[in-house]
Amino acid sequence: MLKAPSPRALVLLACLLALFVALPFFVGPYGLKFATRLIVISIFVVSLDFLLGLGGLVSFGHAAFFGVGAYAVYFISSDEGAANAFLALGAGVGLAAVCALAIGAFACLTRGFYFIMVTLAAGQMMFSLFHDTDIAKGSDGAYINIKPDVTIAGHTLLDFDDRRSFFYVCLFFLIVALLALFWLARTPFGRIVQGLKANDARLSALGYDVYRAKLAAFVVSGAVAGLAGALFACIDGFVTPDLFAWRQSGLAIMMVVLGGAGTLFGPILGALAYISLEEALKTASLVGDFVSAHWRLGTGLTLVIAVLLSPDGLAGFLRAAPRVSRRTRAAPSRPPAAARKASTLATRTLSKTFGGLRAVDDVTVSFAPDLVHAIIGPNGAGKTTFTNLLSGALKPSAGEVLVDGKNVAGMPAHTIARRGVGRSFQRTNIFGAFTVEENCRLAAQAAHPAILRFVDARRSEDDATIAYALDVVGLSDRADALAGAMSNGEQRQLEIAMLIASGGSILVLDEPLAGMGPEETRRVVDLLRDLRRNHTIVLIEHDMDAVFAVADTLTVLALGRLIAHGSPDEVRRNGEVISAYLGGHAPQEAGA
Amino acid sequence: MSLILLQILNGLQYGLLLFLAASGLTLVFGILGIINLAHGAFYMLGAYAALTLTARLGDIFLALAAGIPLAFAFGAAIEWLFIRHLYKRDHLQQVLLTFALILVFNEIQQTVWGNYPLSIPMPSYLSSSISLTADLGYPVYRLALMAICIVLALVMMFVIQNTRAGRLIRAAESNPEMVEALGFDSRILFRIVFATGAALAAAAGILAAPVESAYPGIGDRVLIISFVVVVIGGIGSIRGAFLGSLLIGLADAFGKVFVPKFSSVLIYALMALVLVLRPSGLFGRQ
Repeated sequence: MLKAPSPRALVLLACLLALFVALPFFVGPYGLKFATRLIVISIFVVSLDFLLGLGGLVSFGHAAFFGVGAYAVYFISSDEGAANAFLALGAGVGLAAVCALAIGAFACLTRGFYFIMVTLAAGQMMFSLFHDTDIAKGSDGAYINIKPDVTIAGHTLLDFDDRRSFFYVCLFFLIVALLALFWLARTPFGRIVQGLKANDARLSALGYDVYRAKLAAFVVSGAVAGLAGALFACIDGFVTPDLFAWRQSGLAIMMVVLGGAGTLFGPILGALAYISLEEALKTASLVGDFVSAHWRLGTGLTLVIAVLLSPDGLAGFLRAAPRVSRRTRAAPSRPPAAARKASTLATRTLSKTFGGLRAVDDVTVSFAPDLVHAIIGPNGAGKTTFTNLLSGALKPSAGEVLVDGKNVAGMPAHTIARRGVGRSFQRTNIFGAFTVEENCRLAAQAAHPAILRFVDARRSEDDATIAYALDVVGLSDRADALAGAMSNGEQRQLEIAMLIASGGSILVLDEPLAGMGPEETRRVVDLLRDLRRNHTIVLIEHDMDAVFAVADTLTVLALGRLIAHGSPDEVRRNGEVISAYLGGHAPQEAGA
Repeated sequence: MSLILLQILNGLQYGLLLFLAASGLTLVFGILGIINLAHGAFYMLGAYAALTLTARLGDIFLALAAGIPLAFAFGAAIEWLFIRHLYKRDHLQQVLLTFALILVFNEIQQTVWGNYPLSIPMPSYLSSSISLTADLGYPVYRLALMAICIVLALVMMFVIQNTRAGRLIRAAESNPEMVEALGFDSRILFRIVFATGAALAAAAGILAAPVESAYPGIGDRVLIISFVVVVIGGIGSIRGAFLGSLLIGLADAFGKVFVPKFSSVLIYALMALVLVLRPSGLFGRQ
């Protein structure tokens, strides 16, 4: 999660700010223009960092929104008189947001490698659109002859043609953009965006609509890029399709990573470093004729070396030492108000086929509330597939999944999660880059899973829920630990705490005891017995001692079919089950 | 009618060239997990190398025969110098490093060959046209180009499907640790795969040079269209790359005739359509 900048970083940023505020008084027009360009590019890369550094979405077409923002100013300007500056910038932001919505609607369907390529292609499509057609004079580019200004009742209060005041306008917007994105990152919305980077499968299992979350982050980031583009158009009063070129997007990513992705302020340092480097290498009087003639070689090689040597970027040097605080909090013993009444989970003729294989074959079973239900069976019995069908991670080929009698089969995982079905995964699935408390907060927030929430209105309620969930699983004193750095057993406990915090009334647990020592196993078994008071618990487990210690009913699957379902005693006596699966746990016939 | 036939031929020819480039890209990503933005630069260097090699050796096909091993060696060197450090890193760093390599390669191109478009002579014995219908002639070189692309594609598919090396490559794609555990040095395997990808891109660049000439920025165009092909076909799928290439080739050829100003946009629209229907491409694994 985004941390506040360290004191060192704050001092550096304050010095930079002071330098920039004073700059117009001791540099010439060329220097001022250079500094303005630097600031506008900084806004652009900060907007990219929100998407890339915080959301983990590597957009390689971000220049599209920058370009659209610039063209919006051209569209709104006329040769008769200056356009209103607010209108011009607003048009840039608005048009970029609309484009981001349209492009994001496709791009956010994809992830990873596809996302990178699709955004790259989308950016290139915008380039082609403005390059090949006659829109705004096509490939030649177009001039904004009269730059926007702010005129009220005949008095020009602010003119973008005035270099010095325009410089301060840009600086103002950089500060506003930085603070706004910083604030946004710390709202419930920002927490979800950062959850995207940490673990989008978990986010979906908690009940968040990952697609909408990605799209929202994409639009926010695109809109800010549009602002940068609109300002950029006012520097030279010239727009060209090259603004869209994928190399601009590539350079922006470069600056973000060079400066430190995921810090928001780091990319400003990256932009400063890269643009200064480029400018220095181009200056023959500084580096000699040979180097300045081949300045691209210099920047290219510098970047190659920077990537190979420093994965964390410049901001890595300014990182605060990790805080080790062990807060102990008073844990309320009551369950949170949000805890719902447990629901019944059932399936009716549920089947899943993969090609010719019937992994789950015509299973009809019902799991009643306030009990622990264990699903057992040999490897390949279809247990994990079955739980994946219950939680919506897989879509059934046929049959129904019923939550309190309502069919949820075929619904997306996040919708099923919102019906109260929380699940853990066979391999522990948490937000590794978040602290324990942040993990639970994102889970607690899922009780109201709207993506666009900007105020922690239910903070105190969530606090109580988190404290309760951590107390139940015994992680209260680990609230500030980084989840990814904890032991496997602790991570499993955290996963259960998240399920509790999210208010799920049906817990589907895939091998919750896997990889746990005897001590931890006992702890989780006790926890499960305790939790059944107000939950329906369905679990897969191989540890038969634990299963018999905790389960109220047993469901036995073999080759995808249900072969037995009932109380442990009934199943223990079932001949078919005895012969195949229970071995030593069957009643001793000889001794009886 | 003959216009349609002509555009079908043009589309197939462009598509087959694209396939050579895109198959290298999809191979490198599918097996090494590397997003190689510098792939287009290999194509560009191939096109420029065709100029120099044709001038020295006198014939574009000799240039191809010499250029493929050169590109293979060059690719292997790039893998050894830079790419092998990226296998364990995330996509972002791969994107950055290969992006920086483009800047370097472009500077090399500008220093060695200058900044102007340069045309590469067609071999004189193939510079004629044959008439396909009464009013339609088609350059023989383009037909020869298509034939060579098909041969190269068949050779590649045969190697991957039927040889020991191909089996190893397919095994490494699905489980590199296991291949290592069986006693094969996956470092060498990876180097070979990357070098093969570079050689395929360069071969496409060499073959295309007499038709398209060599100019700065040629690599960028090929890179991005190859990405579109890979997205449409499904990452790592050679079959998908083949289908995607022909689809894009034909869409481009007909787009240029019927909606000249929107032909590039058409290609991206096609990609968007495929993504909506199949988010992992036509032959991609979910």
